[in-house]
Amino acid sequence: MTTYILGLSCYYHDSSAALLRNGIIVAAAQEERFTRKKHDTSFPIYSINYCLQSQNITIDDISYIGFYEKPFLKFERVLFQHLEMFPWSLRIFLTSMPSWINERLSLPKTLSKRLGYKGDVLFVNHHLAHAASSFLVSPFQRAAIMTVDGVGEWTTTAYGMGDGNNIQLFKEIRFPHSIGLLYSTITAYLGFTVNNSEYKVMGLSSYGKMSKRNPYYDKLKKVIDIKEDGSFCLDMSYFVYHYKGRMPSKKFCELLGGPVRKPGSEVTHQHKDIAAALQMITEEVLTKMLCHLHREAKCDELVIAGGVGLNSVYNGKILHKTPFRSVWIQPDPGDGGTSIGAAVYVYNAVLNKKRMYHMKSSYLGPVQSTAEIRSFLKSNEIRHSEFRNNKELICTTARLILENNVVGWFQGRMEWGPRALGNRSILANPCNTEMKAILNLKVKHRELFRPFAPVVCVDDVSKYFDCDNPLPEPTDFMLMVYPIKKEFQSKIPAVTHVDGTGRLQTIRRFQNQLYYDLIKEFGKISGVQILINTSFNIRGEPIVCTPRDAYRCMMGTGIDYLVMDRFLVKREDNPSHMWDSERYAKD
Amino acid sequence: MNMMQKFFQGFRRGFASYSHDLAGIISVLLLTLAYFIGVGLASMFSRIFGKHFLKTKRSKQSRTYWKDLNLKKTPIEEYYRQF
Repeated sequence: MTTYILGLSCYYHDSSAALLRNGIIVAAAQEERFTRKKHDTSFPIYSINYCLQSQNITIDDISYIGFYEKPFLKFERVLFQHLEMFPWSLRIFLTSMPSWINERLSLPKTLSKRLGYKGDVLFVNHHLAHAASSFLVSPFQRAAIMTVDGVGEWTTTAYGMGDGNNIQLFKEIRFPHSIGLLYSTITAYLGFTVNNSEYKVMGLSSYGKMSKRNPYYDKLKKVIDIKEDGSFCLDMSYFVYHYKGRMPSKKFCELLGGPVRKPGSEVTHQHKDIAAALQMITEEVLTKMLCHLHREAKCDELVIAGGVGLNSVYNGKILHKTPFRSVWIQPDPGDGGTSIGAAVYVYNAVLNKKRMYHMKSSYLGPVQSTAEIRSFLKSNEIRHSEFRNNKELICTTARLILENNVVGWFQGRMEWGPRALGNRSILANPCNTEMKAILNLKVKHRELFRPFAPVVCVDDVSKYFDCDNPLPEPTDFMLMVYPIKKEFQSKIPAVTHVDGTGRLQTIRRFQNQLYYDLIKEFGKISGVQILINTSFNIRGEPIVCTPRDAYRCMMGTGIDYLVMDRFLVKREDNPSHMWDSERYAKD
Repeated sequence: MNMMQKFFQGFRRGFASYSHDLAGIISVLLLTLAYFIGVGLASMFSRIFGKHFLKTKRSKQSRTYWKDLNLKKTPIEEYYRQF
């Protein structure tokens, strides 16, 4: 008999749904891709519908729903915050309570009302869902587990062990002390959006002074007390996130020597040094924690989960700075990934079924058939040509990229997680010194300090990068930053960050044959087996999901060509006003 | 007929918007009341008895800030609970 388990994560940030069939993840997607609202928090009705449709089943076929947290425990923490901080928390009490009362405390009712689901709903602790989302889909039978995020119910950081089907978390650090929230506070201080732009601060840190002579290092040390075992405690007088709708306190701003940076204003040396000091402190905490965990767990394999697992700069240093010998992180270690965690935890741990899944690729999202894409192009009168075969597709696309065109690449199933990994990507030539500026001007319109990521076939990686050997699998999910070899830094300037590193994606042929062959073909004609891979989206929007999103993104930006399935669309051939008109915008 | 239909549609929309705003105001009033009476009184009593709900003070003397968690697999019934 087939057992289907649906995992859900929603109401905080990055709502998502994941579907397990007999222990294997067959579909997973974030709600934002369907609703086109970045980090959408709403009930993931579109993601659920996609998961069900992908298997041609209905909600009646679902045996269990796993939810990514214990809502009442979280509500207890929220109430305790108000009790502790009365009367200063009135404003957030008024803004947050309606959603708690109407939605968050009545999930079974919502499931019944929105889906007609009357079956079993199992609630998994948030950090257990995080731990499961990495360990139970990892290649390891036994591993040390570290989960670090903003906050779950009460826990902000936890560690433990995974063994076979079982997970045990031994120790925790509780709210309000959180390394994730410290990172978010400085993200807010630097004028970026919380729960969205932490990666920008990470990118910015490379421009600052990465040494203990950085004056902000000592200043930030006043904010956090770090013990030798990596446990830490924040001085809460520097923060107001536990009772206000913002993060840093006045005292925090005074400590760092000025007010919160206004979004869009100049990024100064001071901001760069603050970002660098934060990154150094984060790395110090994590290294101490991981060394402590290694002593406790007596195990050389490590899995990481929680939003801090997206700190690819640190991820690339883990095997160098700690005694662990191998590390695994799933493509979406943040809250979005906990829908997978809740589902696999129910199947493997609660129902005690054998583990039979190792997540080797992230292509779990929706796919559109060639016929559907052809019909979309035809019905919208979009001028296009059709490749005769894959060889022609690859050769033509590689040539277009070499000629410094910006190419939208839309193929197969959408990726799971926050990174575009070769099915919803924008591809460009990394050898062109101007390409970073071209991409920013034509498409991304993003902060100039942010690097673009390189993608390289796994068999070529050691030629270009000084990476760990053996190469950790999370490089397949663009989760590790490594130094680019000195001799190649000037050859691939568009993907070489200011500190000579790159946040690489490695690709194996079995994961994505077309993408792999394209990189190889580009290598053949350019001499460099690397491409720029950046997410296929307009700034401020989620990554594209459907052919319509992709076409709209191309027409609204300066992407030169769109390679969608076996079709080639040239932007210049399709005047944007045609698309904008009522007549053609019917799809 | 058409005019009447339009009138009632507009009336319905206007009334829905009015009731939505009214519901918003009432819920803010009720929540404010709940905050000051429920949360406020409980908070004040707990302060009198020295109870703290969040551990915001740090103790530099302690060797570690790790707390025992011991979160592991429990019988399936436990997972039906939202707490």
